[in-house]
Amino acid sequence: MGTAVTTLIKDSPPDAPEKRPGGPVAVRRRGRRENLAGYLFMSPWIAGFLLLTAGPMAASLYFAFTDYNLFDSPKWIGFDNFSRMLDDPRWQKSVEVTAKYVVIGTPLKLLLALGVALLLAQSRRGQAFYRAAFYAPSLIGASVSIGFVWRALFSDDAAVDRTQSFFGVDVGGWVGNPDWVLYSLVALTVWQFGAPMVIFLAGLKQVPKELYEAAEVDGAGPFKRFWSITLPMISPVLFFNVLLETIHSFQIFGSAYVVSNATCGPADSTLVYTCYLYQKGFKEAQMGFASAMAWMLLLAVALVTVVLFWSQKRWVHYEEASR
Amino acid sequence: MGINGSVERRTVLKAAGASLATAGLAATTGCGGDGGGSGDGTVEIRFAWWGAEERAKRINQSIKLFEKKYPKIKVKTDFQDYVAFWEKFQTQAAGGNPPDVFQNAVAFLRKYDNRSVLLDLKSQVDAGNLDLKNFRAGVEKVGEVDGKLLGVPVGSNTMSLVIDEKVFKAAGVKAEQGWTWDEYFAALKKIHDTQKVAGDSGYFGIMYLYDLYLRQNGKAFFTEDGLGFAETDLTEWWQDGYNRVKAGIVTDPKKVEQLKPKSALASGDAASEFTWDNFTVRYATEGDSEYGLAPIPTTDGKETGQYLGSLMLSGFARTKHPKEVAQFISFMVHDPEVGKIMGYDRGILATTEQFEAYKPTDAPNLAIAKYEEDVAEAGLLGTITPHPAGADTVEAAFLRVAADMSTGKTKVSDAVKQFFSEAKTALAT
Repeated sequence: MGTAVTTLIKDSPPDAPEKRPGGPVAVRRRGRRENLAGYLFMSPWIAGFLLLTAGPMAASLYFAFTDYNLFDSPKWIGFDNFSRMLDDPRWQKSVEVTAKYVVIGTPLKLLLALGVALLLAQSRRGQAFYRAAFYAPSLIGASVSIGFVWRALFSDDAAVDRTQSFFGVDVGGWVGNPDWVLYSLVALTVWQFGAPMVIFLAGLKQVPKELYEAAEVDGAGPFKRFWSITLPMISPVLFFNVLLETIHSFQIFGSAYVVSNATCGPADSTLVYTCYLYQKGFKEAQMGFASAMAWMLLLAVALVTVVLFWSQKRWVHYEEASR
Repeated sequence: MGINGSVERRTVLKAAGASLATAGLAATTGCGGDGGGSGDGTVEIRFAWWGAEERAKRINQSIKLFEKKYPKIKVKTDFQDYVAFWEKFQTQAAGGNPPDVFQNAVAFLRKYDNRSVLLDLKSQVDAGNLDLKNFRAGVEKVGEVDGKLLGVPVGSNTMSLVIDEKVFKAAGVKAEQGWTWDEYFAALKKIHDTQKVAGDSGYFGIMYLYDLYLRQNGKAFFTEDGLGFAETDLTEWWQDGYNRVKAGIVTDPKKVEQLKPKSALASGDAASEFTWDNFTVRYATEGDSEYGLAPIPTTDGKETGQYLGSLMLSGFARTKHPKEVAQFISFMVHDPEVGKIMGYDRGILATTEQFEAYKPTDAPNLAIAKYEEDVAEAGLLGTITPHPAGADTVEAAFLRVAADMSTGKTKVSDAVKQFFSEAKTALAT
C-alpha cells in the first residue's frame, strides 16, 4: 500500500489545479475565498488559542524569570526562581511524592488495564456491558465529586478502615495517615484504568488470529503465546499507553487537592508537584516561582517523553513491510 | 462546499456575525459585574465572608434588615470556607475586583494594606457614616494599623483551654486561674496515667497559643516586621512537645489528623484542647461528654498573655461606594436586631448595643460570655500586635512543620530550621 500512495503522489502533476476548467484566475480567487472562509470559521478557536493558551504561556514564561506577587509589577530576577527551587526542601519533597506516585501508579494501572482487556477481548455474553462498566470510572474519575467520595471511603472509621479492621489490620483511616494517604491516590488512579483498557482492546483485536493458530500447532502454551505474540504485536499500543499515562500522572492535581482537603498533607504526604505549585501561586502569591515550577514540569515531562521515545527502538515492534 | 460563491459568503457572514455576537455577549456580561449605580439611585455593594451554612443563614437575615432600612442599597453576598475565601480574595484583589466589603482578620491587615487594597475608614467615621462608639473592652483598636482604621470588629474572641470536664473530674484534676505550665503538664500526665487518655490534642502546633506563651515571657510571636523569638525558643517548645507525644500525654498527631474534621477532644481521644473561645460551641454538638472552659496556664502564676482577637469588616480601597460601605458596616456592628440574629457566631458581640441585645440561653454560649467577662475583669488583657505582611503564610507553615515534627517525619532541629527559613521568605514578600 505504501508504494501505491507514493506512485499516486508522483503521478499527480504539481500544477494540476490550473488545468481544471474555469481558468487559473477564477480558481485562485475561489481558493482564496475558501481559505478566508476557513480562517473565519476557525477564528473562534484561533482567538481562544491565542488568548487562553499561547498568551498565558508566554506570560508565564516571562514570569518564571521574575519576582511577581500578583500586586506589584514583576521584577526581573533571572534564574533565581530556579535556583531557589532546587534549594527548597518542600520542592524536593513534591518531586519525590510525584515520582513515587508516577512510578507506582502508572505501571499498576497499565497492568490492570491490560489484564482486563485480555479478559474482555474474548467474545462472551454481556461483553458490551462489561466494557461499559469497566470504562465508566474513567469518565467520572477526574471529577471533584469522586475526590470527595474517595476521602469519605478512606477516612477514619469509614468503609476501608472497617474492612481492614475486620481482617485485623489496624491502620486507621488512610486519609489522615502520612504513610498511607498517597496509596489512596494511587488506588484512585488505578481504578480509572478504563481509557487505556479500551485502547488495549483495540490493539488486541488487531492481532491476526493465524499467529495464535500457528503457535498452537507448534505447541506453545498460553503464557508463551502471550509473551511471544500478543505482547510484541500490541507493543505500539502499549507504548502509546505508557506515554499517555505517564504524562497524565505527572499532572495529578485534583484528587490530591480534594482528598487532602486542600492541604496537600498530612505532613506534606500528598504534596504532589502541581499541588505545591498551586500553593505557591495562589496561597503564597509567589506567581513567579509558581511559573518557574510550571516550566520545570514541562521540561521534565518533555525529558521523560524523549527517553521513552528513545527506548521504544528496543521494545516496540512496528510491522513495516509485512501487511 | 456551496454551489456558488454567494452562498458561501452568506454562510461566512452569518458565522462571523454569530461569533461577534457571542463576543459581544461575553463583553456585556463581563461588564455586568462592576455595575452598581442605576437610574433610580440604587447602589449595589458586594459583601464576602468566610464561614459555613449556619453563618450564611444568619448573615442573609441581617442583610434583609439592612436593605429594609436602606432601600437604596442592595447587598450581593458571596461566601466560602476560610482557605478558599482567601485564595479567591487574593485573585480578585490582584485583578482589582475584590468585594466592596469583606470579613477580615488581624493576620491580613498589613498584608493587604501594603498592597493598597484596604479602605481607611477614618474619613468615613469623620463624615458620620460609620459609628465607632460603644465598643467593648477597647476591641475597636484591633482594626487600627499605623494610624489607619482598616477594619471594624464584629465580635471578639480570645484563646482558651477547653476541657472534658468528666475526665478532669475523674482524674481529680482542677483547672485553676493562675495555674502554671508545670501544673498543667502534671495534670495531663495524671489524666493519662489514671484515665488512659491523652491529656491534650497537640498544643505545640497552635501559633496563637505559642504567642501567648511568648508574651508571658516578655516576647511575642510577631514584631511589626518579623518574628519576635529565636530558634532556641522554638526548639525548646517543640522538643518538649515531641517528648510529650512520645510519652502519650499528647494525642498521637496521626490520630488527630485521621479524625478530622472532628476534633480529638470531641471524639474522646484527648481531654483538653486549646482553641478560640467562640469555637467551643462545636464540642457540645460533636461529642457526648461535658465540656468547659479553663484558664490558660501561665509562667508566673499571673499573666496569661491573652488579648482580644477579632473578626472584622473591611472595605475595598477603591470601592465606588465608600459611603454605603461605611453605612453597611456601621449597621452590621451596631444594630441590636443584627446582634440577636448573629449571636456569638463570630465571637462575643463587639458593641454594647449588640452585646446587651443578645442574651444566650444555651450552656456553651453562656460559658463563653462568662469566660470573656472573667478574662476582661482579671485585667490581664494585652493589646494585639498587628501582624506583618505574610503572617498568614507563616501560620500555615507553623502548623504544617509542627505536624511534620510531631509525627517524627522531621527531626526537631531540622523542623525549626525549616520553619525559620519559610517564615523568612514569607515575611520578605
